[in-house]
Amino acid sequence: MPASISAISLNSLSKRYGKLVAVKDLSLEVRQGEVFGFLGLNGAGKTTTIRILLDLLRPTSGSAQVLGHNCQSESRTVRSLAGYLPGEFGFYGDMSGSATLEFLARLCKQKIDSHYRVQLEERLEFPRSDLRRKIREYSTGMKRKLGLIQAFQSDPALLILDEPTEGLDPLMQESFYELLSEAKNRGRTVFMSSHVLSEVERVCDRIAVIRQGEIVVVSEVEEVKKLAARKVRVEFSEDCDFRSRELPAGHEFIDSNLRTWNLRVYGSLGQLVSLLGELPVRDLEVEEPHLEDVLMKYYREDGE
Amino acid sequence: MKAGLALIVNSLKRVRFLVLTLGVLLCGFQVLLSLVAASIQRSRGFDDLYSLVPDFFRQLMGPAFTALMSYSGIVCVGYFHIAVMGSLVGLVIALATEPAAEIEKGFMDLVLSRPLARGWVIMRSLAVVLISTILVLALMMLGTWIGQRWLSPEGAVGPSAHLIRSLALNLGVLILCWAGVAVVISSFSRRRAVAGALTGLLALTTFLLDYVARAWSPAEKVAWLSPFRYYNPLDIVTGLPVHTRNLWILGSVTVVGFALALVQFSRRDI
Repeated sequence: MPASISAISLNSLSKRYGKLVAVKDLSLEVRQGEVFGFLGLNGAGKTTTIRILLDLLRPTSGSAQVLGHNCQSESRTVRSLAGYLPGEFGFYGDMSGSATLEFLARLCKQKIDSHYRVQLEERLEFPRSDLRRKIREYSTGMKRKLGLIQAFQSDPALLILDEPTEGLDPLMQESFYELLSEAKNRGRTVFMSSHVLSEVERVCDRIAVIRQGEIVVVSEVEEVKKLAARKVRVEFSEDCDFRSRELPAGHEFIDSNLRTWNLRVYGSLGQLVSLLGELPVRDLEVEEPHLEDVLMKYYREDGE
Repeated sequence: MKAGLALIVNSLKRVRFLVLTLGVLLCGFQVLLSLVAASIQRSRGFDDLYSLVPDFFRQLMGPAFTALMSYSGIVCVGYFHIAVMGSLVGLVIALATEPAAEIEKGFMDLVLSRPLARGWVIMRSLAVVLISTILVLALMMLGTWIGQRWLSPEGAVGPSAHLIRSLALNLGVLILCWAGVAVVISSFSRRRAVAGALTGLLALTTFLLDYVARAWSPAEKVAWLSPFRYYNPLDIVTGLPVHTRNLWILGSVTVVGFALALVQFSRRDI
């Protein structure tokens, strides 16, 4: 697949349910080989967009393409290139885990590499004995792991994961992050929705935030983090009255007293360091910005 | 094609216990009916039974009643007994509403995220319904054959193989017709309970409509809407051939039902 072709391309995509607009005029490009985070609050339109990619929902207008194939007119080709973990899904309780994986594998065009599947089972700590049990006996976490195995087992060019770590314990989350990283190293593209911003910050190269069906930001994770202010805490060995100080632009005091300054700094710290050079500084702490700090702003802002 | 077959095989595996249980039960019921008929025949009770029934009822039923009050008639009752018809209609409703059940459960997302044409979901229902109906009817016919082969009293004239085949054929086509109705409703629905209840209610209403229309002439005007109108087992028991027109009508409803479901399921949001 030529690298110039986007892994996912959405062009003015809209989906309406009567008067309700679930997705509005969405345009987005996801590059091949990147891990892309699709963020938004509940009901923002993440799952609707994902389901349109897999032709489970039909768009009201606009179009979606996966690796150069139209998601509606060439949906079978698209689905043969993608592995999908739905946000909410159900298995048949009377089937065993292994029978379910076998059945879903038979629905795929390409042959499943059994060694890779065994590897996945081991990495996600899903022993054969558990796979032979009926799914009705599985816990929520086990069902989630089975969902992950079925999505990864064909080693697809594109992984579409809707809230992938929901219901996974921290150890399994680690294993999942490793699987993602390996998939990325093999050149696979990952498109995942998530509520967990720390997770997105850790695994994603780029993100898009969707609010009320509209994209409000698309950016590299590092770029987004730069938009956030760093918190700086300065302790002095002598009293320093913060009220008499004029701070450079992009700097503001929060919760300060004569011996301790707490500041919020947007941009570089150079000017602050120069200022502090004249003062009796005892200690300095810089807290790196988190994705949450920026994204909460996008989540909360109303659309106007 | 391979994926479609996998879908059919998986569904058949999952329903095999239900289908075989019902088939064995109905097979047993046929054997039981043969036992009952043999018992009445041995005690020469058919004449007594005939005389116990009021005159007006005998007149209402016509020659069918005479045919029914015989060894052969009792053996055939299983092919139009309300419990048998009810359980068969119930079975095909359960089988044909599988698409709605899988959407409700969320399993359909996993199935249709594979490179599978949506039409296979409906074709799968058709295959499962067809195979299950044939299997259950074959087991019923086996029960009848067992009863005739080993339980029939000396001198008793049992139903001919042709008569049993005719009853099974007409009953089978009627059952498939209900599968056609159920699958259309299922293709519009997101919940099996809704699709099943709607089809069940429709079946009950049309059954009563057909029943009422036989005794109350004003209902005759709309009785043609009932699929049960096109299954006349008492006529067949008296020796009349199966109306080809009835089979065509029921068969057409089945085909149109599955075709509509195919179109609707391909267009709908999952």
